[in-house]
Amino acid sequence: MTASDRFIVIVGCGRLGAYLANRLSRDGNGVVVIDAEEQAFAALSPEYSGFRVEGDATELAVLREAKADKADVVVAATRDDNVNLMVAQVAKVEFGVARVLARVFEPRREAVCRKLGVETICPTAMSAELFLKAIAREPAP
Amino acid sequence: MKVLIVGGGKSVYFLCRTFLAKGHEVALICRDHEECVRMARKLKATVVHGDGSDPAVLEEAGAYGADAVLAVTPRDQDNLAVCQLAAMVYRVPHAVALVNDPDNEKVFRKLGVAALSTTRAIASMIEQRTAIEEITNLIPAGEGKVNITEVRVAPASPVADRTLRDLSLPADSLIAVVLRGEQAIVPRGDTVLRPGDQIVLITLPANHGPVLRAITGEKD
Amino acid sequence: METRGVLIVDDEKNIRLTLRRALESLRLDTDSAVNGEEALAKLQERRFSVVLLDLKMPGMDGMEVLRRLRAARPEVKVIIITAHGTIESAVEAMKLGAADFIQKPFAPKEIRDLVTKVLDRDKLAAEKAESYEEHVELAKRCISQRQFDAAEEHARQAVSADATKPEAFNLLGVLLEMAGRKLEAQKNYRAALALDPTYRPANENLSRTTGLTSGGISVGAGTGGGEAGGERTP
Repeated sequence: MTASDRFIVIVGCGRLGAYLANRLSRDGNGVVVIDAEEQAFAALSPEYSGFRVEGDATELAVLREAKADKADVVVAATRDDNVNLMVAQVAKVEFGVARVLARVFEPRREAVCRKLGVETICPTAMSAELFLKAIAREPAP
Repeated sequence: MKVLIVGGGKSVYFLCRTFLAKGHEVALICRDHEECVRMARKLKATVVHGDGSDPAVLEEAGAYGADAVLAVTPRDQDNLAVCQLAAMVYRVPHAVALVNDPDNEKVFRKLGVAALSTTRAIASMIEQRTAIEEITNLIPAGEGKVNITEVRVAPASPVADRTLRDLSLPADSLIAVVLRGEQAIVPRGDTVLRPGDQIVLITLPANHGPVLRAITGEKD
Repeated sequence: METRGVLIVDDEKNIRLTLRRALESLRLDTDSAVNGEEALAKLQERRFSVVLLDLKMPGMDGMEVLRRLRAARPEVKVIIITAHGTIESAVEAMKLGAADFIQKPFAPKEIRDLVTKVLDRDKLAAEKAESYEEHVELAKRCISQRQFDAAEEHARQAVSADATKPEAFNLLGVLLEMAGRKLEAQKNYRAALALDPTYRPANENLSRTTGLTSGGISVGAGTGGGEAGGERTP
C-alpha cells in the first residue's frame, strides 16, 4: 500500500500527535487528527494537508465522524492513558482497524489491550532503558 | 461481600450507604480530597484518595480481596480502565462500569466488561411513550435482545378482568408471571387478569412499545 | 463518452492536495480551482466528466456554483463535498442535481470509490441492468435526475433481485415517503432494519418519520450515498 492510499487517524493533537500528523501528512498519507480542544490544532504545521475533527474521542460518534472505521491505522496519542487505551480497544473491536497503536505511560496498564492486538508504546519503560544504557556507558574522555 | 467503588458525588455516597446497609464491606476510591474527607466522616467504609485506574491506588483500597468493583465516574474511559485492571490483574469476579455515552454500552460488553447505561434505560422508557407510573424495572437481558418488564394492571386497563386467552397481544411476547398480592401465578389461557396485578412481561424490543400500550391502554 | 477528467474546486489547499493525491491512482486528468469563478472559467475552456465541489467557500458560495454549473454544463457530474453534519445542504444540492456527496473527513479510498462509482453510473444501461447492485445504482441516478417513478421501479427490481439486503428497502421507503405514502414508507424502513438492525440510514428515516427526531431523508452513506429531497407528486 503506497502512502497516498493510507488513511491514518490520530487521536490527540499534543506534542506527539501533532508531530506524527505533520510527518505522516508530509509523507503523503491521508490523515485525520482528533482533539477535544480547538486550540490544540495550532500545533499543526501550515503544510499539514489532512483533516481536523474537534471532539471527545471517547464518544463513538466522534470516532465515526473522523471515519475511524475506514482507517488503516489508528494512533492513540493523548496525554491520558485511559483515553488511549479505550480509543485503541474501540478501534480494534468496534471498527476492526488493522493496526492500532497506543501510547501508555503506566507500564502495568499495557497488558490490558495486548491480547487484542493493540501495539502499546510505553515512554516510561523506553526512557528508563535509554537512561540506564547511558548511565552504564563510559563517559567520553 | 467486599465491594470496591470508584467515583464521587452524591449518587456514589448513596451507593456506598446502600451496600453498607446490606451488610457488605465497602471501600471507596475518590479523586477529590475534600470529598474523601467528607465520605470518610459519614461512612463506615475504607476511603482512599487517588485515581482508581492507578494500580497502586487499587491495591491500597484492597482490590486483591474484592468481590466486586463498581466504576461509576463521569468518564467512560476511566470506568473501563478500572474494570479491566480489576478483572485482569486483580481477578475481581464482578467488575461493572457505568457507561455515560450509551453508544459505549455495546462496546464495553464486547470487551468483556459488564456495562450499565442509565441514559439508554431512561430514554427508551420515554420513547415507548408508556405511562411510567405503571411500569417498573425495565431490564434488558440477553445482550439487549429481550426486555423483561413489570407492568401493573390499572383498573381502566383494557386487559383488566379478561382471560389471557382473550387478549390479542402482539406476537413474540410472553406474560411470564402474574404477581397478585403475595401470590405468584404462572398464568394459563384461562387465567383472568385483575386490576392491581403486576405482570412480568417478556418482549422483544421491536414490539415492546405496542405490547405495553396494549396492556396500559395508552393510545399511539 | 470517454472519461475526461476531474475538476477539484476547493478554497483550502490541503483539501485540493488530499483530493489530487487520492485520485492519482485512478489516472484521471485532474485540475483545480480555488473558487467558483475560476471553476466556471475552467469549465468554459475544457471538458470535464466530474467536478468535486466544496459547498463551503468564500466568495460565490458552493450552491450558486452548483446552480450555474448545472445550467452551463448539465452533462458534468458534480460531487459535492460537505462539512460534517451539514445535511440540509446536501438535500438541497441533490434537489439541484448533484450526482452524489461526501462528508469531510474522508479516506482516500472513499473519494476514489465514489468518483469511480459516479463515472460508472453513467455507463450503466438501464435496460440491461440485472443485478441488485446495478438496480440500486440506477435508482440513485434516477433520484438525482428527479426521475422518481423510474427510481421506484429500479428500487423494486433491486428488491426482487435480492431481498436480503437493507439498502433497496430503504431507498424504496424514501421514494414512497416523497410520494406522501408514509405508512408504506415506514414498512420498508422497518423491513430494512429487520434485515440489518444496525443499518443507520433506515434507522434515521424511521426515527424521523415516527416523529422522534428531525433531519433530512437518508438514502444511505457508505462511500458517499446522499440525501434525497424534493417534492414528488403522489
